[in-house]
Amino acid sequence: MKAIYNIFMKRTSTYAVAIMGSVFFFERGFDVFADTLFESTNKGKLWKDIRANYES
Amino acid sequence: MINIASKAGNYLRATNQVVANGLKPLAVAALSEKKVSGDQKEHLTVYTLSNQLPGNNVSIKTGVATSTQVRFAHTDVSVPDFSGYRRDSTKRAAGKAQSAEERKSFSYALVGATTVTAAYSAKVLVTEFISSMSATADVLALAKIEIKLADIPEGKNVTFKWRGKPLFIRHRTQEEISTEGSVNLSELRDPQHDSERASNPKWLVIIGVCTHLGCVPIANAGEYGGYYCPCHGSHYDSSGRIRKGPAPLNLEVPPYAFPDEGLLIVG
Repeated sequence: MKAIYNIFMKRTSTYAVAIMGSVFFFERGFDVFADTLFESTNKGKLWKDIRANYES
Repeated sequence: MINIASKAGNYLRATNQVVANGLKPLAVAALSEKKVSGDQKEHLTVYTLSNQLPGNNVSIKTGVATSTQVRFAHTDVSVPDFSGYRRDSTKRAAGKAQSAEERKSFSYALVGATTVTAAYSAKVLVTEFISSMSATADVLALAKIEIKLADIPEGKNVTFKWRGKPLFIRHRTQEEISTEGSVNLSELRDPQHDSERASNPKWLVIIGVCTHLGCVPIANAGEYGGYYCPCHGSHYDSSGRIRKGPAPLNLEVPPYAFPDEGLLIVG
């Protein structure tokens, strides 16, 4: 915790950079999570699940 | 109570007097915290209550060296215990200073996490708003046309409808390719080499709208064997270039690609 504070949070510049950097990873992670949740909730109704019935 | 002379001297003087508030004797309270006022009687009536108020002989000293500020000494009031509200790290024997960095990093991490979430939400909001201004999915689906080239025999011109306009696809013969490739550009009204118009020389993909007034030309007609506009007599060659007649420009070439062998996608 102390190391994190000294590396990222002590200076505003590094703090801002750390926030911007973590936004990218957060976005990726959150989008993947949301998609997985959506697909698991709608399992069996999605095109990729019923595709085999319509395409030979 | 206060005269002007004494007041002037007392402006900058800190209070150094403590006066018992009358209800509770000062000496008793100061000696022991446990021992509250000696007067344990319950004051139930107006009479007994009023007896507790400062009575007849209340007097206050005043003078040049005397403070006239009266401060009641509430020495019986104990400091409240806020430990229920304090973080555990500040209650350690080591003291607050030791845990300062830990507490700071927690606060900063919380602010940082909020900012990350806010930035993500703002990005999503802006992206969604801007993408709502672009064409809808059904329009985008119609914007492209997929054509199987095997259906078009050599030497034929086939017309499709693409974005509300006629689209000509011409499977050119070897003869036409060599003729169009050797045309001198200085003879042309809108000089364009055949290789600029047809990336694959076997296939000519053009929009079938005459550049003069927007009629649809007739394929395999006219003096140059390409296209002929019946409205005002514009002659196009088999590369779709204007060769004779009123039209000012060559027939337009839309963006297209050959992703697979035998497949053409226009749009």
